[in-house]
Amino acid sequence: MPEAARSRRVPELAISSTSTLVTHTGSWKYMRPEYHDRVAPCNQGCPVGIDIEGYMALLREGRLTDAADLLLRENPMPATTGRVCHHPCESACNRRELDGAVAIHAVERMLGDFALERELAAPPVSPRGTAVAVVGSGPAGLACAYHLARLGHRVTVFEAAAEAGGMLRLGIPEYRLPRVVLDREINRIRAAGVTIHCGVRVGSEDLPWGTLLARFDATFLASGAHVSRPLGVAGETAIGVRAGLDFLKEVNRGGRPSIGDVVVTVGGGNTAIDCARTARRLGARSTILYRRTRAEMPAIAQEIDEAEREGVEFVFLAAPVGFTLDGDRLRAIECTRMQLGPPDESGRRRPVPTDERFTLPADTVLTAIGEAIDPDGLPLAGTGTAIPTDMWGQTARAGVFAGGDLAEQPRSVADALGAGKRAAIGIDRHLRERAGAPLEHREPDALRLGGRGNLSMTRWRDDDPVPRVAPLNEVVTYEDLNPAHFERANRHEDWSLPLEAAVGGFDEVNRGLDRPAGLAEARRCFNCGVCNECELCLIFCPDVAITRRNGHGFLIDLTYCKGCGVCVTECPRGAMLLTREGLS
Amino acid sequence: MKKVMVGNHAVSWGARLARVEVISAYPITPQTQVVEELSEMCADGRLAARFIKVESEHSAMAACIGASAAGARAFTATSSQGLALMHEMLHWATGGRHPVVLANINRALGPGWNIWTDQTDSLSQRDTGWVQLYCETNQEVLDTTVMAFRLAETVDLPVMIVLDAFYLSHTAEPVDIPDQEVVDVFLPTREAHRKLDVNDPHAFGALVRPDSYMEMRWQQQEAMDRTHDVFEAVEREWQRLTGRRYGAIESYRARDADLLLVTSGTITSTARSVIDRRRERGDAVGLVKVKMFRPFPTAALRAALSGVSRVAVLDRNVSVGHAGIFAEELRSALYDLPPDDRPRVQGFVLGLGGRDVTPAVIDRIIDAVREDRPIEREDLWVGVNP
Repeated sequence: MPEAARSRRVPELAISSTSTLVTHTGSWKYMRPEYHDRVAPCNQGCPVGIDIEGYMALLREGRLTDAADLLLRENPMPATTGRVCHHPCESACNRRELDGAVAIHAVERMLGDFALERELAAPPVSPRGTAVAVVGSGPAGLACAYHLARLGHRVTVFEAAAEAGGMLRLGIPEYRLPRVVLDREINRIRAAGVTIHCGVRVGSEDLPWGTLLARFDATFLASGAHVSRPLGVAGETAIGVRAGLDFLKEVNRGGRPSIGDVVVTVGGGNTAIDCARTARRLGARSTILYRRTRAEMPAIAQEIDEAEREGVEFVFLAAPVGFTLDGDRLRAIECTRMQLGPPDESGRRRPVPTDERFTLPADTVLTAIGEAIDPDGLPLAGTGTAIPTDMWGQTARAGVFAGGDLAEQPRSVADALGAGKRAAIGIDRHLRERAGAPLEHREPDALRLGGRGNLSMTRWRDDDPVPRVAPLNEVVTYEDLNPAHFERANRHEDWSLPLEAAVGGFDEVNRGLDRPAGLAEARRCFNCGVCNECELCLIFCPDVAITRRNGHGFLIDLTYCKGCGVCVTECPRGAMLLTREGLS
Repeated sequence: MKKVMVGNHAVSWGARLARVEVISAYPITPQTQVVEELSEMCADGRLAARFIKVESEHSAMAACIGASAAGARAFTATSSQGLALMHEMLHWATGGRHPVVLANINRALGPGWNIWTDQTDSLSQRDTGWVQLYCETNQEVLDTTVMAFRLAETVDLPVMIVLDAFYLSHTAEPVDIPDQEVVDVFLPTREAHRKLDVNDPHAFGALVRPDSYMEMRWQQQEAMDRTHDVFEAVEREWQRLTGRRYGAIESYRARDADLLLVTSGTITSTARSVIDRRRERGDAVGLVKVKMFRPFPTAALRAALSGVSRVAVLDRNVSVGHAGIFAEELRSALYDLPPDDRPRVQGFVLGLGGRDVTPAVIDRIIDAVREDRPIEREDLWVGVNP
């Protein structure tokens, strides 16, 4: 028989009589979860130093204008890079491990086009009374000028050619970068307060170096590399053998040179691909001769695919050794078969000639094995193949900075834009120090997104519009993620112009993604290392110790968090870390 | 609305009419259709429930318990090995007083691997503290499913609905589907007597010492005791709304009978037709169908069987090492009757692993019992080839 009194006292199930809030489960813990903003691998991989993850997160919320603003803080010409950049960000993207990298280039392009369409402009700044000269209006020069203008410096760009843009205008064919896009991006840079003087070659009688250096507080040299490397093969001065870059410049200015029916391009980089595809558009049968294999080609893989689609033929493991002439007229290119030996200093296997010889008929041979700088035209002594600079882009001469193809760096649009930004930061720092008003001490390492060379302008300016939670400059790897929470979703592929239309003219071939597809692609972003308020930590916490923070993110109530680490394990994006209690 | 449907879908429709809020299940033949249909109802919006896919039946029941603790109406379905895998959580549902409803499609336990009907799976869960309700027709399946929620939420005990594999689960019959408005009156949204509340947090399922554990068990027993009356009241109301009730037990043509069969599940229907034919010949046989196995309807069975001379229990199940389970439960329930009123109870094990129980089989049993001769052990395992 039950004892009546006791029976009433005992609840019908095991339930605590008091609130469990009296039990401070937090006192058990020896590990502690912490929220940290870490660095997405795309951000580290971007030579421009764009907060890619940041604008993807804003796009996820549908905030296009804010996303474009974040992008334009770091990159003056996203509609251009969205089209022509080799997007190392995508090679770094963690989503590759699941179902294909996010098509970052296409999202950037969509956002860049949106910024042009809405005519988004840089905010007005108060002038600082300092004047900076930029020599060259390629991507490095334009980026430096743009960032300096946004920092309040008065900037004048001097361009030897008739129009601004440098290699973007002279070297890149219109079917990859329509001039209307380039023009509008340059106009936005002008609108930010940059003056561009075209048709002025610095160092000529019009504007001697001495005059320039005396008139400006600092100078950025970014006149590029325009001297095509010779093949070093007898006969290359014959009619029909010409530098590929000169050929591109002529076509890009509107010329339509006569190249005959059969064109062979020597080289494996983007210039070679551009030459071969341009030759196709001029009606020629077009072949690329490359001394290694497709796997070693430095050109953008997508461009190689496009060239193949357009009927460009490839002869791999072959190098020119001579030319067959008929009088002074080219008839054929003589080649040697190569084979791959042990890796060289670039890590690629070194091509070694064999005894095998063969001949390819050619009406025109275009050489595209690289470009060199012209050191004679520069105000710096003892410059060899590249201008040496320090970590801020400063040359041996005080107040003179350099970057882009002139300096020792990869020859890409993105690297040039990054070098321009680096020099802008270097010049800003230099001029502030000179004026006795230095910014608080900021080392390059603290400005880098991750551990590579790029620099963040928002970090330099300390005006990041994205709220940051205990940032750590650590890059998040796939192993740091919890992919169980990500659904598979196919990458959106760019739409391309049909083949006949592509080869038939110079209309843009790659049409990217429309806005809905671009926004959908942005939602594929894992947001590696940055809390996007998915709430999984809040849902999974067995102690209900995680609550929403006013404004952004979450709070951990350490009185009740017992340090089990479930939140850290469940966090899909590696934005939480578990640290040992009592250690900082 | 009348609709022709298989027994599995009668379960699904019952759960839908009950407006279950959380379904968590793992597929197993012959149950799978139950939750397959429910998942489609969730997907196309006919049912506003959260369907939680899990990696095992143990997790399915755990998810249902969690949902129930949070105040939701939770449902799952399983069979055989799946039910066995849930065993630990079945106790937890009772101890936590979670009114979860589970449909078990009776299937033989392996090995030998066998997907056909056999009650040993659900009867093996006899001592978990779950109410168990066995069904004979698809209409009864649907009605019982809806009533199970009302019963469970009234007494705060979990309820298991049990139906035969294939004979019900995959056999189509016309089923009358009550209007949703009718069911909504009968079964409003669950008002949990207690639930998890982050603003008033309490520990559920924590340590209970020897000075209190027995009292908790006692209250489970009290809830089971109450279940007899509550079930009757629930059925009365269901009858008022739909015209149908089943009873914890049902006596069929039992008046003046000197021999009663005791059956459960679909064997009952076969037995009914055997009895009808024998009654035409003037043979005074009848049957008692047992719908409710837990709590065991001891009082009702004593009343129904007191004074009858012979009782034959048909068990499509076996407690190996003892006997058919209904028979043993019944003997125990009748033991306290005065000796003169106490019938002679004989238990027959038959139809295991889905073997057919035909009218001829039941006739043979009745004839054997009538002969009043001692019955060999092999004869109690009907049709077995030793």
